[in-house]
Amino acid sequence: MKFLCIPCDVKMEVQVEGIMPEEKTNLVMQFKCKKCGHSIAMLTNKFETEFVSKLGVEMGGATSVSKAPMAAVGSSLAQAKEELQKTNPEDNLIWTEEALERIKKVPFFVRGMARKTVINFATEKGVTTIDAKLMDEVREKVGM
Amino acid sequence: MKTYEDLEGDGGSDIIGQVTELGKTLRSRLDKIKHKVALMSGKGGVGKSSITANIASCLADQGLKVGILDADLNGPSIGHLLGVGNDIKLEMKDDGMEPGVGHQGIRIMTMDMLVKTADTPVMWTEEADATAVWVSTMESTAIRELLADTNWGELDYLLIDMPPGSDRIDNIRSLIPELAGAVEITIPSPLSQHIVTKSITKNNKMKVPIIGLIENMATYVCPHCDKEGKLFDGEDVHKLSERRDIPYIGKIPFDTRVSRSQSGNLFYKEFKDSVTGQAIAEAVDNIQKFTTK
Repeated sequence: MKFLCIPCDVKMEVQVEGIMPEEKTNLVMQFKCKKCGHSIAMLTNKFETEFVSKLGVEMGGATSVSKAPMAAVGSSLAQAKEELQKTNPEDNLIWTEEALERIKKVPFFVRGMARKTVINFATEKGVTTIDAKLMDEVREKVGM
Repeated sequence: MKTYEDLEGDGGSDIIGQVTELGKTLRSRLDKIKHKVALMSGKGGVGKSSITANIASCLADQGLKVGILDADLNGPSIGHLLGVGNDIKLEMKDDGMEPGVGHQGIRIMTMDMLVKTADTPVMWTEEADATAVWVSTMESTAIRELLADTNWGELDYLLIDMPPGSDRIDNIRSLIPELAGAVEITIPSPLSQHIVTKSITKNNKMKVPIIGLIENMATYVCPHCDKEGKLFDGEDVHKLSERRDIPYIGKIPFDTRVSRSQSGNLFYKEFKDSVTGQAIAEAVDNIQKFTTK
């Protein structure tokens, strides 16, 4: 699926900032025209989201999330072993337990993007600890 | 206005690139495995997993390297049969997860290794409104990951213990196009024979080679005197194999020791000279002839 900015006649690019799924079954993705800056959001229902998840890929490009072994099983199994539920905190930020729990609930195929969005926001703000409050701020900022 | 083909890429996700990469990972894993064999039954409870484990035991006894993929996601029993408990510590590496190593060095991957506790069911969500689409989607994804993300290493045989029914073979067939074939397992009961025919028909339609038909629990063997007796009434399974034009490759008597041998080893390893042990060896010989011809 591709999105075209009609006035500019150029392809719209997926935005890292702009994805914050409310729950496991719905998805919001933002696309932006590089030329004019116009943004749109793609909203999918749970059936469409489920279909995408079958591919085993990540929206916005592959990250360490999907490259980890058993990524989909580990993140989707309701009661998986702890070793399977790593959240790849390769950054230097501190994630509170609550923040980690919330990021774990994001489907694996968009989790990498969601993480990037949160990390970018924290870096911009100059904070070193990511907590639930900060994640609420991210959600508010990206308008989803 | 530009059309789909005019726009390069896909907007930044590189979905095709990612799918290609997943395919490469799977291929590199499968290329190290000589023979891949699915073991199927139409009906549950015919002893498919037990036969799979003992076929693996017989192959391993010949010095071959053997693995078992437990594709029965919701009723996994391979871990239990091979002595790999749920308490196994998972060893995650960058290039994959280490398989469990059971009796005789047989490598296994099963959902039982991945869930929190031994009595945890495989559930893809704990929400009450989980859709059948979601569950089905996750089961297909899980089969791919269990196959592609396990460090099987070099294997002579990978046995795939399929769930009852024939629905999962579509999944396996698309993941392993070079699948050597499927072994169909039935017991003599008319019901089991009736249901296994559906599996045979489906495999024929999907052009999955059928290695042959195994008749499990064909008779009952007394562990004390080796005398055989009849367990089920029903049409001779030979007739089914003739009617469907598939080889009859094994008649395996029921032996009470098959579920748990005293030493904790697999039945075949301990009782290979018994009537049932010899029947397993004969079935394995037929499978090997088919896969190496």
